[in-house]
Amino acid sequence: MNGIISLANITFKEGIRNRALFGIFIMALLAFALTVILTSLFMRDIVRVAASLSLTTITFSGLLMVIFIGTNLVAKDIDKRTIYMVISRPISRAEYIVGKFLGLCLLIIASIVFLGIVSSLPVLLAGLNYHNPQAIFSWDIYFIALIFIAMKLMLIAGVIIFWSSITSTSFITLILTIAVYIIGSTNEVVKGFLDMKMEGVNISPLMSAVIKFVYYIFPNLSALDLKVQAANGLSVSAEYLVWTSAYWLLYTAIIVSAGALIMERREFP
Amino acid sequence: MTLIDMDSLTKVFKKDLTKKKVCALNSLTLQVQEGEIFGFLGPNGAGKSTTIKLLLHLIRPTSGRLSIDGKAASDKNVRRMIGYLPENPYFYDHLSAKELLWFGGKSCDLNDETILQRSAVLFKMFDLTDAMNRPLRSYSKGMIQRAGLALALIHDPKLLILDEPMSGLDPMGRKKVFDLILQLKEEGKTVFFSSHILHDIERLCDRAAILINGSLVRSIHVRKDLPAGKTLEEVFFEEVNKSGGLRE
Repeated sequence: MNGIISLANITFKEGIRNRALFGIFIMALLAFALTVILTSLFMRDIVRVAASLSLTTITFSGLLMVIFIGTNLVAKDIDKRTIYMVISRPISRAEYIVGKFLGLCLLIIASIVFLGIVSSLPVLLAGLNYHNPQAIFSWDIYFIALIFIAMKLMLIAGVIIFWSSITSTSFITLILTIAVYIIGSTNEVVKGFLDMKMEGVNISPLMSAVIKFVYYIFPNLSALDLKVQAANGLSVSAEYLVWTSAYWLLYTAIIVSAGALIMERREFP
Repeated sequence: MTLIDMDSLTKVFKKDLTKKKVCALNSLTLQVQEGEIFGFLGPNGAGKSTTIKLLLHLIRPTSGRLSIDGKAASDKNVRRMIGYLPENPYFYDHLSAKELLWFGGKSCDLNDETILQRSAVLFKMFDLTDAMNRPLRSYSKGMIQRAGLALALIHDPKLLILDEPMSGLDPMGRKKVFDLILQLKEEGKTVFFSSHILHDIERLCDRAAILINGSLVRSIHVRKDLPAGKTLEEVFFEEVNKSGGLRE
């Protein structure tokens, strides 16, 4: 266990000092500043616009961070042979994968806490400058949406770790992760379209089976997206939160475990 | 007592696309005794690094048996007693040497107090005290090598495996490593190291093995078995010539 914890610790430290992260944070801060300016152009629903733009900025920045830092995490270790330094300690290959994943998760949590606090400023400013008693906005849902963004990024981190255990090329990991992200963000809509059974639209049984297969195999990332609910102050049922969290936990655990099992079979000549 | 026991150890690599097989290590049988300084000699591509990677379970043997202190090398707990310095070590750029040693100590279950105490001793020993908080990317090649040695020693291992420990070091650095290996022998540690610097091996080692094209061609007690008037370097060149040169 000490091996996993110590590896997660140095992975976090190495990640937080990465210059790419500073670039992404600066971009996010500029986007938050732009949010303040943009909201001044709107006459109504200003808090909604500010919340929506802030959450979008956090999602985009988090995605850039996870992809840029995550895809190089294992690939660079193998390429530069830093992995020799880790595996020559009493750390198994599976523990290496779990340690790297947990380090990346710590980085995600720290980043979302920082960006979440900063992002609340444009929303607060919008609320103060254009006070509208009829506007529905809930900080509770806003912070739940932030937690779900962090969970979504952790799931993507799990996907990156999984691909990294198969290939040592960071570019291939990047391409495969982006493919999973696109499929995962749209598969619920496609499945919904399939379930509607519209008149005049014929979908072949084969296509229908493929869509169902993709829906169940790939992560349903849109389930973790609560931006619309947060921006509009819509309530989210406790049941939805619990089931979605259980789905997230199970999917992430399975994909990281699969990565760990694959890594156990690898050699580092 | 035998610490490292290799029995008919063979490693065959398959090239990715052609699936052509390359035998990197051919039926190596070798024992290293506890408290011994063992030199591993051979030209480039002889199989020295392959053997070291097998000892550390970075790769698995195609056939044969390998045990360290009576336990299979695949057991991760075996690595608790090993300190390893890779050839041309590369560490995390943004970490400091202090953080690197903390990781090394923690991964071997040392407590924070012990890590701090041992780190201070090792930094002093390797002249890194002033640089211990600096990121490793700002270190020179020699400093990286010394940080690697400190990492290998942080958990006070029983067995040191050093892959080309003198490579990239200036004369002062080499002298330091030389003295360190002698000090480790005095402490009863076992040192298994590969080197191209035959003179160092002759002066340091109790025993040496010469590996050519993946096969062990000679194992000698450096102080007892060297033919009269011959240096280890001469014996080494004789063996290379006898083997008919190096394969492609």
